[in-house]
Amino acid sequence: MAMAALRREGRRFAAPLISPNPVNTFRSSLAPTEEQAFGGIRGISTQAVRNRMKSVKNIQKITKAMKMVAASKLRAIQTRAENSRGLWQPFVALLGDTPSVDVKKNVIVTVSSDKGLCGGINSTSVRVSRGLHKLTSGPEKENKYVVLGEKAKAQLIRDSKKDIELSMTELQKNPLNYTQVSVIADDILKNVEFDALRIVFNKFQSVVSFVPTTATILSPEVVEKEAESGGKLGDLDSYEIEGAESKSEVLQNLAEFQFSCVLFNAVLENACSEQGARMSAMDSSSRNAGDMLDRLTLTYNRTRQASITTELIEIISGASALEG
Amino acid sequence: MASNAAVPFWRAAGMTYITYSNLCANMVRNCLKEPHRSEALSREKVHFSVSKWVDGKPQKPTIRTDTPEE
Repeated sequence: MAMAALRREGRRFAAPLISPNPVNTFRSSLAPTEEQAFGGIRGISTQAVRNRMKSVKNIQKITKAMKMVAASKLRAIQTRAENSRGLWQPFVALLGDTPSVDVKKNVIVTVSSDKGLCGGINSTSVRVSRGLHKLTSGPEKENKYVVLGEKAKAQLIRDSKKDIELSMTELQKNPLNYTQVSVIADDILKNVEFDALRIVFNKFQSVVSFVPTTATILSPEVVEKEAESGGKLGDLDSYEIEGAESKSEVLQNLAEFQFSCVLFNAVLENACSEQGARMSAMDSSSRNAGDMLDRLTLTYNRTRQASITTELIEIISGASALEG
Repeated sequence: MASNAAVPFWRAAGMTYITYSNLCANMVRNCLKEPHRSEALSREKVHFSVSKWVDGKPQKPTIRTDTPEE
């Protein structure tokens, strides 16, 4: 025993002078404190790896829980989003969708989420909005943004804050409903001047695929102008409209109601896409945490094994030296 | 197109069609019998915050909450 202690002492003093620690080279670099071990405390410290493993395990638990929450929210909101599609489809049948219409005052309504950790859906809708902005801009044209949700606001503030007209957040505090969205639509109609509203949102297709979509809503005057020039909108005259109102009045009511319905659908679809994207993002991050945990466990076990082997060698060689 | 006579009046009062139809919808909800009535009313909660932007700066946000109709 005394000899072993002596050898250890000798090694500790000699090591820096003679060789650059031949022992440590094959041991893990995670255990630099080994050489400072004093009487009785031997072996490599695995504290660092153990801490790391614990934190990775906790993160994995959190991401798994978030995935579960997103999955249950998704199921609730998916049926609502799919049912709300029936609201705007009659309008498209009646008025048609005219994404290529060329008007002076474009207002781009970007729909995004308030919370992050949901993959790329917010940056997708921001990118599409920027593209649309570029596409429709030109001399004597006015393009404005109306931003729904915190995330798109944070992204658009960087380069086009001059063009933001209105921003709305905290939409999803209560479950989304038509009354709320129609009040939002009402606010947009009252506060923003427009010839065409272009709503940008992520249309939900399945849990893993979201299609950035634009829906165009024309102002009553533009609708009338388009109706006169023929095309799909020209068919409007063939409908018999009850009531003694003038055509422009009917068109104005229709355009307003269309906007609220389309916005309702857009907000629901986007919320649905958000949950789906969050679910898949959290799924992949729990998988990554699992991989990392596996790698760390391997390192940990290997280090432990190495220290045990070294101890055995030391004991055996000590014993044989005494015998010898 | 429920009431022809009312149309000019609500438009003249500065309401949009959306406000008008929401008002009507809320009246219908108020006509429901009790267990359904409170359920229908509690379903339609409004909460969001709006801020107008002037010269690239957001103005103070106004929070609109639990006002199904203005």
